[in-house]
Amino acid sequence: MTALLDARGVLKRFGGLTAVDGVDIDISAGEMVGLIGPNGSGKTTLFDCLSRVSSLDSGSIRFDGVDITRHRPHQVARLGLARTFQLIRVYRDLTVSENMELSIQWGRVGTARLFGRTDPSTRRRVESLLEFLLLTRLRDERAGALSGGQRRLLEIGMALMSEPRLVLLDEATSGVNPTLVAEIADRLREVNASGVAILLVEHNVRFVAELCHRVVVLDRGAKLAEGTPRQVMENPAVIEAYFGAEGE
Amino acid sequence: MKSAASGEPRSGARLADSRRRRVLVRVSVGLLAMLALLPALPGVSNSTLFTLTLMLTSVAVAVNWNLTGGFTGYVDFGHAVWFGIGAYTTAILMSLQTNGPQVGWAAPPAIILGAVVAGVLAAAIGRATMRLKGPYFSIALLGTFVAVREIVRVSGGLTGGGVGLTLPPYLNRPLFYYLELALVAGLVAFTWWLRSTRFGAALVAIREDEVGAEMRGINTTRLKVTVFSFAGFSTGLFGGLWAYQNTFVDPDIAFVEVRTVDAVMGAMLGGLGTVAGPVVGTVVLFWLRELLWAHLLDYHLIAQGLLLIVIVLFLPRGLVGIVDPRGTSVTALWRRWTGRGARPDEQGKEP
Ligand SMILES: Nc1ncnc2c1ncn2[C@@H]1O[C@H](COP(=O)(O)OP(=O)(O)OP(=O)(O)O)[C@@H](O)[C@H]1O
Ligand SMILES: [Mg+2]
Repeated sequence: MTALLDARGVLKRFGGLTAVDGVDIDISAGEMVGLIGPNGSGKTTLFDCLSRVSSLDSGSIRFDGVDITRHRPHQVARLGLARTFQLIRVYRDLTVSENMELSIQWGRVGTARLFGRTDPSTRRRVESLLEFLLLTRLRDERAGALSGGQRRLLEIGMALMSEPRLVLLDEATSGVNPTLVAEIADRLREVNASGVAILLVEHNVRFVAELCHRVVVLDRGAKLAEGTPRQVMENPAVIEAYFGAEGE
Repeated sequence: MKSAASGEPRSGARLADSRRRRVLVRVSVGLLAMLALLPALPGVSNSTLFTLTLMLTSVAVAVNWNLTGGFTGYVDFGHAVWFGIGAYTTAILMSLQTNGPQVGWAAPPAIILGAVVAGVLAAAIGRATMRLKGPYFSIALLGTFVAVREIVRVSGGLTGGGVGLTLPPYLNRPLFYYLELALVAGLVAFTWWLRSTRFGAALVAIREDEVGAEMRGINTTRLKVTVFSFAGFSTGLFGGLWAYQNTFVDPDIAFVEVRTVDAVMGAMLGGLGTVAGPVVGTVVLFWLRELLWAHLLDYHLIAQGLLLIVIVLFLPRGLVGIVDPRGTSVTALWRRWTGRGARPDEQGKEP
């Protein structure tokens, strides 16, 4: 079986700095994988490369058998790869439901639907996802007025609206209160159980260990270790990277 | 809004929306009927009708500018170029001569072709410039405006150069008035419809967060170039109509910076990114100028500057923005324009 996502030798430089240094990463359909590493180790940059927000300096990326190395971001999204952002991106001047309605699977929107209104089935999907994410009562609020945690949830909802096969989550729990973190963990488990693969960037290592079957560790742009949460956590190189250099 | 939402939890906002829509439709139909009856009133001269036709032209240009500036967030400082291109194409086609007898085109096809030329050029220029952000896009369009005017000035063989072109005169003020009234009403209705479609919502998404919109599957380039091209087409149409009524064009009256400035100011005063905003704003601005600033002579620019300050400080969402929350504010547009709302993620984006 071939992997859903298969990235080889992804390399990205910013001037003299190599932010991602030849990383290989693969994700199978329905898998939940954690991506951890100290600050500045290149996790977000790797996400930017995978979702094609950033161009890569070398390497290749295949998604579901399609070479997406030169795709534009919207093409990647239309293939079923969704993501959230470490620095939250929502449409602030629009309401929560409008944000959701704008995050449909655009690959299925032909000219006729492009010039049509939001249809009842989309609206129902929005309602059920908002309920799933505990956002129903905020439906008509401006997204800019939500708390950080609520915006994280909204962003997850927006990613799910597109019926993705893989979701890249960049720090879905940062700035979120502990009760809500537990809720998010539950929701992610449920999403994953429905067959959606998830790649999770997290600073909260316990959160990752609880959720993921497999963890990849980045350090200074390169892959340092890979394995089960336990294997990774007992790896001396990982302990060194986390506690030796900076002390998380 | 809030209380309505809590009173009727499931669809409060949508109900309020539809109630507001009904009021709006009634008000618009009433206004339209009044404007349609106007020429029949005693004491309404042809020159009044001409003034009103010019006002309708300004309204149309502001509505078109708002499609890219207000909805999509691309502040076009050269929008008047499409007006000039429509005007000149019309003038050239209508004044064609083969040594002696006039073989100029009839007005309707000439005006329509003028609009098409403006729309096609807007698509080409849009493709090239809409990858630029904020001030770079604005300045590129300002440059386009100046460049096209100079090209027209030096291409004497085709455009009559600095001397300009004279069109076959045809004066029927009421006809033009009705025609433009119908076209402006159609344009506003079209804008209102467009805003209610996924296409219109996606334009707003581009304004709010273009990287996010692209990442969520919206083909931002296609959408923004399409709407920019339509705005060029529509402004070109009104440019052609204007040239026909004016019976004369030269570079300095067809390509006028003030047309862009008025469109921007009108949209801001009325409410950026709203449907009714540019209409209300432009009408208010037009009558301020006719009635007040005409007496201020050289000081009218100061008055206009002061008005701009008042908008930014006290009316950032414009007159319509007070009741319609669906637009955006001058300050939000300014933040995005200068990139101060930008996030670090954007730096890695390729051109
Ligand atoms: N647009 C950019 N221009 C220049 N350098 C950048 C840019 N984006 C990231 N970097 C640098 O690349 C390196 C990797 O950054 P990145 O944000 O990918 O790390 P990260 O693992 O996501 O960190 P964090 O845990 O803090 O989110 C850092 O040294 C960062 O300073
Ligand atoms: Mg990061």
